[in-house]
Amino acid sequence: MFLEVNDVVAGYTKEVSILNGVQFAAEEGKVTVILGPNGAGKSTLLRTVYGYLKPRRGEVRFRGELLNGRRPSEMLRHGIAYLLQGHSVFPSMSVEENLELGAWIFGKDRQARARAIEDAYDHFPRLREKRRGAAGLLSGGEQRALEIARLVMTSPKLLLLDEPSVGLMPKLVDSVYEEIARLKDRKMTVVMVDQNVKKAVAIADQVYVLKLGANSYDGPQADFLLRMDEIVKGWL
Amino acid sequence: MQASGATAASPAAAPPASEARGAGLRKWAIVKIGLLLLAVVFLPPYFDDRYLTTILISVVFFGILGAIYDLMVGYAGLNNFGFAGVLAIGSYASALCQLNFGTTGWEGLLIGGIAAGAIGLLTGIITLRLRGLYLGLMTFFVGETIRLTISNLPQYTRGTLGLTVAPFENIFGIDFARGADPLNYYYLLLLLGAVIMIFMHWLVRSKAGLVWRALKEDETAARTLRVRATRWKLLNFTIASFLTGVMGSFYAHNLGVLSPLPTEFGVGRTVEVLTVAYVGGRGTLWGSFFAAALLIGIQEYFRGLGAWRLVLFGVLLILVMIFVPKGLARFKRLLL
Amino acid sequence: MDWSMLADPNILTVLVLQGLVRGAMYALMGIGLSLIFGILGVVNFAHGELFMLGSYVMYLVVGIFGMPFYLGIVAAAGVVFVCGVAIERGLVEQLRRRAGRDWISDSFVLTIGLAVVLQNLAHLAFGSRQYGVAELVAGSVPVGELEISLERLAIFGLACLAVLLLWAFMKFARTGRAIRAAAQNAEAAETLGIDVRNLFTVTFGLGAAFAGVAGALLISIYPASPTVGAEPLLKSFAVVVLGGLGNVSGAIAAGLLLGVLEAFTIFIAADGWQNVLTAYLVILVLLVRPAGLFVLGGKRA
Ligand SMILES: Nc1ncnc2c1ncn2[C@@H]1O[C@H](COP(=O)(O)OP(=O)(O)OP(=O)(O)O)[C@@H](O)[C@H]1O
Ligand SMILES: [Mg+2]
Repeated sequence: MFLEVNDVVAGYTKEVSILNGVQFAAEEGKVTVILGPNGAGKSTLLRTVYGYLKPRRGEVRFRGELLNGRRPSEMLRHGIAYLLQGHSVFPSMSVEENLELGAWIFGKDRQARARAIEDAYDHFPRLREKRRGAAGLLSGGEQRALEIARLVMTSPKLLLLDEPSVGLMPKLVDSVYEEIARLKDRKMTVVMVDQNVKKAVAIADQVYVLKLGANSYDGPQADFLLRMDEIVKGWL
Repeated sequence: MQASGATAASPAAAPPASEARGAGLRKWAIVKIGLLLLAVVFLPPYFDDRYLTTILISVVFFGILGAIYDLMVGYAGLNNFGFAGVLAIGSYASALCQLNFGTTGWEGLLIGGIAAGAIGLLTGIITLRLRGLYLGLMTFFVGETIRLTISNLPQYTRGTLGLTVAPFENIFGIDFARGADPLNYYYLLLLLGAVIMIFMHWLVRSKAGLVWRALKEDETAARTLRVRATRWKLLNFTIASFLTGVMGSFYAHNLGVLSPLPTEFGVGRTVEVLTVAYVGGRGTLWGSFFAAALLIGIQEYFRGLGAWRLVLFGVLLILVMIFVPKGLARFKRLLL
Repeated sequence: MDWSMLADPNILTVLVLQGLVRGAMYALMGIGLSLIFGILGVVNFAHGELFMLGSYVMYLVVGIFGMPFYLGIVAAAGVVFVCGVAIERGLVEQLRRRAGRDWISDSFVLTIGLAVVLQNLAHLAFGSRQYGVAELVAGSVPVGELEISLERLAIFGLACLAVLLLWAFMKFARTGRAIRAAAQNAEAAETLGIDVRNLFTVTFGLGAAFAGVAGALLISIYPASPTVGAEPLLKSFAVVVLGGLGNVSGAIAAGLLLGVLEAFTIFIAADGWQNVLTAYLVILVLLVRPAGLFVLGGKRA
């Protein structure tokens, strides 16, 4: 399996576990969507995969390699990118500076950095127009575009996305999902946590549902669509 | 970024568990505490050693100050980095009133308390709506302002030349004159300390104590319970300042000379008291006395070591912060 | 006090110049503190002791070994940088692993302990004597009818240079940019592959180095002694609060402003009152503009 989470137990404090033996797998080149009610532990699962939390039990494997105990700052070099829940641009830095930081792992390789930034601008022309402006002054949609651009500029193999369409205008929401569907064409694997069941599942290959920090459903898109009412009834 | 690491677990669950420990253990603890108190009261005259008595006065004095500091930081999460300034207000108010208006030292205890309480109230009104860090910085500068103002008004306070203060007046036939038996001051301090400690002990177990702890744990949650956070904090701050002022007055008449040096009423003094409170264990009140005994004990025992003992002080504080955040109270069971 | 003296352009010029020199010193003292707070959220009470270390290094290099003064400054920067790195890794980082919500007051108390240790270690090593270096640069230049010493001008120039270097580093260097990013959103910085832990360490070292440079540069005014850090600490706090917590450019402006204000206070009242004024001013600013004097609209409080 491309990404595997085996029987993981994790939490923020010693006393309380948020994830209680979660099982999860994502296939290469596919979009896997994780659904579930608020507080189910979806973000916590992504945080654990990315090394913000240490699993107390179980293991996280990426292309067979054990990720447990690695620090978040190593992940991108391993080809895993993470879109945090909420906004994550650096608001008082310019758009260009934000992109420069997105290309951080290219290190001193100026050419690679310049090329990646150029690509990002080509992909999101709006960003080029506002390259000198402070990122915090961009509109919500533009900020999200900047976040996504920053995320994919190093061509990661796996993307972890936490509620990528939240807080955007309906029109923009669709464009975000189109963007994610396009990532698939660029041979990127996507694991996406979402509240927008219909739109997320529409681009999904595999669907997982978490409840109270444990698996509650998993199956392919077609199966989920068939049984959606019954599965979703509990929390919507 | 800190939030991702660890969020403090609710310690609210801890105290009931330890209180539920066997009644037998508690009985022994009471016996031991009783013996300790008896020793503190009756042993000093047995030794009748001026040097030892002075040290004991020091221990009890800093124990009380530490406990007052703990009332703020350990129970309500309020860090007063200008503590020494409040102490100075109590000292100077009592001394200056005695000098200029002929009040007695005994009245001075109250005068010092009220003056310091008023300053505390005022500081509180302007600071307590600020959060954590701002509160700390503000109190730091209020403390320094008090000290610097005293220092720059030599026509009233004699500034750094030092202000001579008369001792407490004799009362009930007990001699408090300079050069009299320091044991008399020791017992006065014990009495003062007993009243203050019993009051604070009751206070932190009253409704106020409950509210303070709730505010300390989670101000937003406490606010939703319609607790007027600022008022309760103000109450804490004012009471603590009043008590500090009373102690300041005692300090003035016991010592006999006041001077607004940094080591007396500046950051240095605040750091001493804070160290006692933190090493004793935040939220324990009584831990301060053990910390004061330990720290002053070290200080006296290692007099020959000079500055090394202060190095030891600092190291102890660092170790407590990193490894033993509960302070000496962590080792309570060894004793009780 | 003859107020008409304030109308005398000569006196006014000298006061403003004195104030700017003073202010540059304060800015230099304060920016390290501001930097460390802005990035790590640590109010470093041992800042004055790092200043002290710098002045001892200066004394050793220039006063004892007789090397030129700029080598003393470089050496102070280096030594105190290393100390800062060690402090961050050895203590602050250890505390960060355990601390929770009370991070700001806990880390403050930790650095109080550190300050006590450093101060008394200095006492043990050098005693309580003051060690100074007579004069870094000799001579003076005329300003109108009065004179201003080259030494003060050199201090002003070097302080400005140091501040400018930091500004350029933060603005243009890759590491500086990453430091700013981490200050704004540490988690997001980590997702971009930036090792925030190392940045914290470097930042602490840098902030410390600036305290050390200040101590070295100002040795003729503040001769090295175990307690020399007390006043610089106070001034740094003032500068940091006036400029807005963690706002490095605000700290620079606040330093200059404070310097000029103090120069006038000393002239109008008496030596000693400038410290009272500073403290009152800080309280006032905390009251009405807790975000600092130079933040528009007072957000961030
Ligand atoms: N930093 C934290 N410290 C302590 N507890 C946390 C922290 N973050 C989240 N939690 C708790 O962990 C549980 C799961 O949170 P998580 O963010 O994983 O939920 P989620 O499924 O992503 O919900 P949402 O859809 O609202 O984002 C919640 O009960 C939450 O209170
Ligand atoms: Mg979430």
